[in-house]
Amino acid sequence: MPSEVDAVRLRGIGKRFPGVIANHDVDVTIRSGTVHALIGENGAGKSTLMKILYGVQKPDDGTIEINGNEVVLKSPTDAIDNGVGMVFQHFMLADNLTVLENMVLGAEKLHGIGDNARAEIRRISDRFGFELEPDVLVERLGVAARQRLEIAKVLYRGAKIIILDEPTAVLVPQEVDALFANLRELRSAGNSVLFISHKLDEVLAIADDITVMRRGTTVGTADPKTATKHELAELMVGSELPSPETGESTVTDVVELELHDVTLTDEFGRNLLSDISLAIHRGEILGIAGVEGNGQSELVEAIMGMHIPTSGRITLSGEDVTRWHTRKLREAGIGYIPEDRHRHGLLLDSPLWENRILGHQTEAPNVKGPWINRSGARKDTTRIVEEYDVRAPGIDTLARALSGGNQQKLIVGREMSGDPKLLIASHPTRGVDVGAQAAIWGHIKRARKAGLAVLLISADLDELIGLSDTIQVILRGRFVGTFEPSTVTPQDLGAAMTGGQTV
Amino acid sequence: MSTSTTTKNASPGLVQRLTKNWFYLTLVGIAVVSLVRIVTDTNDLDSAGTLRAAIISTCPILMAALGGLWAERAGVVNIGLEGQMILGTWGAAFFTYHYGPWVGILGAALLGMIGGLLHAVATVTFGVDHIVSGVAINLIGAGAATYLAEAVFSDYEGGGPRQLIGLDPPTIITKTPVISEAALDLADKHWFFVSDVASVVAALTTNISTLTFIIFGLVVASAWILWRTSFGLRLRSCGENPQAAETLGVNVYLYKYIAVLVSGALAGIGGGFLALVSSSGYGAGQTGGRGYIGLAAMIFGNWRPGGLLMGALTFGYTDSLRLRDTDAVHALLLLVALALLLIAALRAVRGQINGAIVMGVAGALVLAWFLLTDSVPREFTVMTPYVTTLFVLALGAQRLRMPAADGQQYRKGSAG
Ligand SMILES: Nc1ncnc2c1ncn2[C@@H]1O[C@H](COP(=O)(O)OP(=O)(O)OP(=O)(O)O)[C@@H](O)[C@H]1O
Ligand SMILES: [Mg+2]
Repeated sequence: MPSEVDAVRLRGIGKRFPGVIANHDVDVTIRSGTVHALIGENGAGKSTLMKILYGVQKPDDGTIEINGNEVVLKSPTDAIDNGVGMVFQHFMLADNLTVLENMVLGAEKLHGIGDNARAEIRRISDRFGFELEPDVLVERLGVAARQRLEIAKVLYRGAKIIILDEPTAVLVPQEVDALFANLRELRSAGNSVLFISHKLDEVLAIADDITVMRRGTTVGTADPKTATKHELAELMVGSELPSPETGESTVTDVVELELHDVTLTDEFGRNLLSDISLAIHRGEILGIAGVEGNGQSELVEAIMGMHIPTSGRITLSGEDVTRWHTRKLREAGIGYIPEDRHRHGLLLDSPLWENRILGHQTEAPNVKGPWINRSGARKDTTRIVEEYDVRAPGIDTLARALSGGNQQKLIVGREMSGDPKLLIASHPTRGVDVGAQAAIWGHIKRARKAGLAVLLISADLDELIGLSDTIQVILRGRFVGTFEPSTVTPQDLGAAMTGGQTV
Repeated sequence: MSTSTTTKNASPGLVQRLTKNWFYLTLVGIAVVSLVRIVTDTNDLDSAGTLRAAIISTCPILMAALGGLWAERAGVVNIGLEGQMILGTWGAAFFTYHYGPWVGILGAALLGMIGGLLHAVATVTFGVDHIVSGVAINLIGAGAATYLAEAVFSDYEGGGPRQLIGLDPPTIITKTPVISEAALDLADKHWFFVSDVASVVAALTTNISTLTFIIFGLVVASAWILWRTSFGLRLRSCGENPQAAETLGVNVYLYKYIAVLVSGALAGIGGGFLALVSSSGYGAGQTGGRGYIGLAAMIFGNWRPGGLLMGALTFGYTDSLRLRDTDAVHALLLLVALALLLIAALRAVRGQINGAIVMGVAGALVLAWFLLTDSVPREFTVMTPYVTTLFVLALGAQRLRMPAADGQQYRKGSAG
């Protein structure tokens, strides 16, 4: 029930960083008891605004009102005291602590740090279907489990105003549905939710109000009851809504990557991957569908040489590479877009051009003999920044200062350079706006035409169906079904992913 | 909702697992030592005297290691432990001279804490590189102690520019009624196992400083505080992911400050022990690099209280052994060989064939060395403590895992 007083009123918010105006003259009002969606292109200033509302960063101008009272938020503690909770765009978890420890940190007063807290976590986990084990190290969790943990952290604290910065980027539709059911429940209990997403279907499905941001400021609002996806896309990036369709097949009969009965066991002898066999030809995109945590990460890590398979064989261009080191595999022409860009893809405190070298530190144009080729790397970084539309003040900017979507574009650009033979892409368009998504799809399609083989893992079923030549469904470390993208529907895939149906 | 395959904790390193089953470990350990003692006929291997000396040389290292643990768990590398220890030796001497040994200990902690404060201001507030600041603290600590000793102690009774002797130690338990005598008698019988246990009892009840018990108590208390309280959880979160901690309302600067201050205080107490218990007064250069050894014990102890305790004990024991009886060092070879072979067997059982082979070969080599020689060259005995500690800890700890944000610069507002 929306009450008289607005939950949040932001008036004239401004925030400047060196070389960038992240926010200016931002006005947003969140009615209490509603879900309010905030959309906008990459770098529009959404996350910055949310960090201001959560007290992480101080605004240069403007006022913040929470429940009708003007507040000054000096630190997240102040925001928490005002009933605000936030799920950040990038995970805020300590790998070496357990789920329980991450959960209770800062909120120890609520249920202690022992068995009471454990019981409460179990309760939240059961209620929302999160499947969280309190005593597992977070290091062991995949991206979707981490995402669920982040959401659970906010629920645990009982926040009244909940900020969710792209919480669905790595969740599959069923998980998104479950999350939305929770959000509706929270809404009817009188809480307010601020929701950021680049997936416009989701926005239309859940939001009561929509605010659009562009170039640091609010440019309009839309009514989810009447607006269409196309109108939203227009408002956001001023362009047409893209579709991932690949057009005619470019699959050749030369096999690029082949896995023969690859099995991977953990230290307790359990199978993480069981008898995985696949073949990807030049010019082919093989899509892997599955609820995250069913062996996708392990499959990628086995191919990338981060885990040596317990049994089975991997060949690249006909050569046995089962026991090759990651370095050698990359030099042999594998591009790799990791699932978690902050953990595996970037050095946040290094400039963009150094990040360009990362993972390609033995290849032209980054090196000349044993030396780093500074000017070569810098020039190529400038090329990536232009071709992939990475919005940054310059190539000496630290990676940390880029918006999430722009970090992703930089990684994609880096991994596509040097004409790889094979691209391993985990959620390649995670967190990028609809315009940039189209551009990335375009790059992948063009490379595919030129003979690139791609292993595509994505939680976005439309992307998977649109781009792939074949789709394999993975469940508990096994392939449980092969689908033809031209005939399969997202519903079929969804059912197969949860074990509802095998083909 | 999901069908994720959740996996359990990684199997913890050997040191951790054994320290968890410390009771069994102790039993096996005593049996092995006893066996070696009888086979090699070196009763000094675990005589009450040796053990007492071992405890005395363990304590300062243990305090340095524990200090390192506090700081690094909060993400600050404290290489300045040595300097803080030196300050502690001076503080202990000064305050003991005026107010008696217990105030002396507090004084040692205070002086060490001042060293810690310097380090905290430099690294946390001003973002100086932790190593640079630590090295500076070591230089400052040594310099300040030298200067202060010259300026203050020269006029004191028993004092000079480089020393202050004749200080009262903290209370010593010279004899515990009944137990001490009985234990010593039993130890002198040189029976298998029983006499070794008796030696331990005798060492712990006769001529032992109460400060020793306090120091071991501090290790237990630290473990409890850091792992069982919400204060400890917050402190550790600052060393793992300060940005995440910040977003959950933890005042990261405050916790880092507390941690580094405690760290300095503990190192200072270690210095105090050196001045008041190990010897009977302040002497220049008394610490002899024990701060660094403590740091090493903490690292190879995998940033855990149990591990660093084991590291400090190994070092302390071998150090005292070499000073008391060089023959015993030869017997030590057999002990090390057996330990290695035991670890090899353990690994083999757990299916880690490569590890087992490496360990087995190392064990066999040491065993051969023991069998083929009668004594260890003098030059080598000097390095036994270092070599053995490295051996035991480096081979025992499998997967060293330091706090993820250890030594890193943290600025407020960098989250997200
Ligand atoms: N700490 C920082 N230092 C410097 N510039 C920053 C910093 N944080 C953000 N920016 C800049 O502010 C602008 C807005 O970034 P923000 O992260 O708010 O975008 P966003 O709307 O969340 O984009 P995305 O959809 O990609 O997540 C960007 O140009 C970014 O480069
Ligand atoms: Mg963002």
